[in-house]
Amino acid sequence: MPREPGVLAVFADPSAAARAVRAAHAAGQRDVRAAMPAPFPEMMEAMAQPRSLIGAVTLCGAVLGMCLGLWLTIGTSVALPISVGGKPIVSLPAFLVIVFEVTVLVGGLSNFLGMLIGAYIGRRKRFMPADPRFLRDRIGVFLPGTSESARELLRAAGAEEVRDVA
Amino acid sequence: MSVPVAVAERMRSIDKSAEDTQQAPGLGWGALVALAVACIAIGAYSWSLIIRFGMQYTGLNRPVGWGVLITDFVFWVGIAHSGTLISAILFLFRARFRTAVYRAAEAMTVFGVMTAGLFPIIHLGRPWYAFWILPYPNQRHLQINFRSPLVWDAFAISTYFCVSAMFLLAGLMPDAAALRDGSQGLRRRFYALFAMGWRGTAEEWRHHGRAYLFFAAFATPLVISVHSVVSWDFAVSIVPGWHSTLFPPYFVAGAILSGVSMVITLLIPIRRAMKLEGLITMQHLDMLSRLVLLTSLIVTYSYSTEFLLALRGGASPERDTLLYRATGAFWPLFWLMVLGNCIGPLFLFLKRVRGSLLGLFAVCALVNVGMWLERFNIVVSSLEHNRIPFDWGAYHPRLAEIGITVGSFGWFFFWFLLFLKLLPSVSIAELKEEAAHDHHQEAAHAA
Repeated sequence: MPREPGVLAVFADPSAAARAVRAAHAAGQRDVRAAMPAPFPEMMEAMAQPRSLIGAVTLCGAVLGMCLGLWLTIGTSVALPISVGGKPIVSLPAFLVIVFEVTVLVGGLSNFLGMLIGAYIGRRKRFMPADPRFLRDRIGVFLPGTSESARELLRAAGAEEVRDVA
Repeated sequence: MSVPVAVAERMRSIDKSAEDTQQAPGLGWGALVALAVACIAIGAYSWSLIIRFGMQYTGLNRPVGWGVLITDFVFWVGIAHSGTLISAILFLFRARFRTAVYRAAEAMTVFGVMTAGLFPIIHLGRPWYAFWILPYPNQRHLQINFRSPLVWDAFAISTYFCVSAMFLLAGLMPDAAALRDGSQGLRRRFYALFAMGWRGTAEEWRHHGRAYLFFAAFATPLVISVHSVVSWDFAVSIVPGWHSTLFPPYFVAGAILSGVSMVITLLIPIRRAMKLEGLITMQHLDMLSRLVLLTSLIVTYSYSTEFLLALRGGASPERDTLLYRATGAFWPLFWLMVLGNCIGPLFLFLKRVRGSLLGLFAVCALVNVGMWLERFNIVVSSLEHNRIPFDWGAYHPRLAEIGITVGSFGWFFFWFLLFLKLLPSVSIAELKEEAAHDHHQEAAHAA
């Protein structure tokens, strides 16, 4: 992950951090990055991030799972036809239970992998200075690029600490 | 104290409470782990008797081909259900009281499924053939029977285990990262493994939030499907006392009743031993006990419906079997079940009982016993008292089966005790989110 110069502000209150993010957006700074110990609703709203694509990934996984379930049950029953108790070789109502389980399994797996990959790509593409406090009791807001107005803006929002990151 | 400082202070105190649970274990914890290992040893020895000498070491016979081992299987699947209910269904309903208790319940789910999954394999008698239930190409050109509820079970339980484990891991990531940065050495590497590179960026939270929502959306129908499938193991057959369309909802309600009761039974000693009274409050336990009361009423309604429908059906094997269940060889177990599942929880209508740790523990422990007996009654009495007197028989559990049951409790508690000491038993991130929210509400009220 390439380091980027910028201004990092540390906040103790999520509302103050959210104010800083909104002020940065209002000042024309679209690229605002943040780290926090919990997904505080006011911060997540202020960040105005695009909706995660995980829904699409999970849906694709679920559809793939459904197809796999149908292939497994219908495909193998047709390939190895054994009549059991006079029931049809393709007993769709009974097979649907398996199809449902495989749908959920593959959908769940793609959801989990999608989250891990999305988080990994986010970390790789967008530099955010690491600080253990951001996992414990503080919120970090990082504005790439250095300008005095950015520093002022963060201080005015109530930052405890504002520093340059080289 | 200003709002920002108070919020940070509260977040620090949550971190500290969680870190305190991870301190070096004391003698009490060691003694409990030793007891759990001893129980596992008893279970392993008992299982070895079956492996070495055959199913004669169980009380199974003709016509009672299912006994304590299948009872244990259904019991542990039921125990596993509360975690998903508390973490997924209550999450979708935005029930805030779940925050402090759902992590322990989720862990219970995973360990409950790990325990339940052993029983069909043990019950086989020849566990080395367990892989025959999996669909795989083979030289015999045989394929498993996808119409069989036993195959549905294998798929449902495996899926449930995988989804529950992923759900637990997804929730653990931010908390493990918080603990990772405050620890050193081997413990740090252990937390780093569960944190999976988590750094708490808004980008990560964006994906995490959506993924968590989808997990909850998947887990909700899954949890209903899993115990419905377990109930179909019985209901799809034509055995009187089993063949009923009532079984799926009845089993799901019973599973939630037993699971939530087990959560309370475990949380009461945990919050005291780990000094989590500040995070897992009496209000959390009160809300959970209301859930026990609600599901107990549903279960009581199901019992009544089952009996009334059978009694109104005239002279039928169904009616005879249900009367046998209440008055036959195992009648004390039946009435103990009614006491535990229907009468005991009624005391939870009293605020005094819900507010008393001892009272709550006693009611929930009784429910746990009652729910095990419910499964035993369903499994055994129906097989003992089949359609024609020629086919009637008797079943007496033998020591090997009881030993395996004891072993299953040891196995479950062994993993649970390890979890309590190695990973955070409360959701640190969600508690922090709530703490910030509560402080702002209080500040707004004060203003």
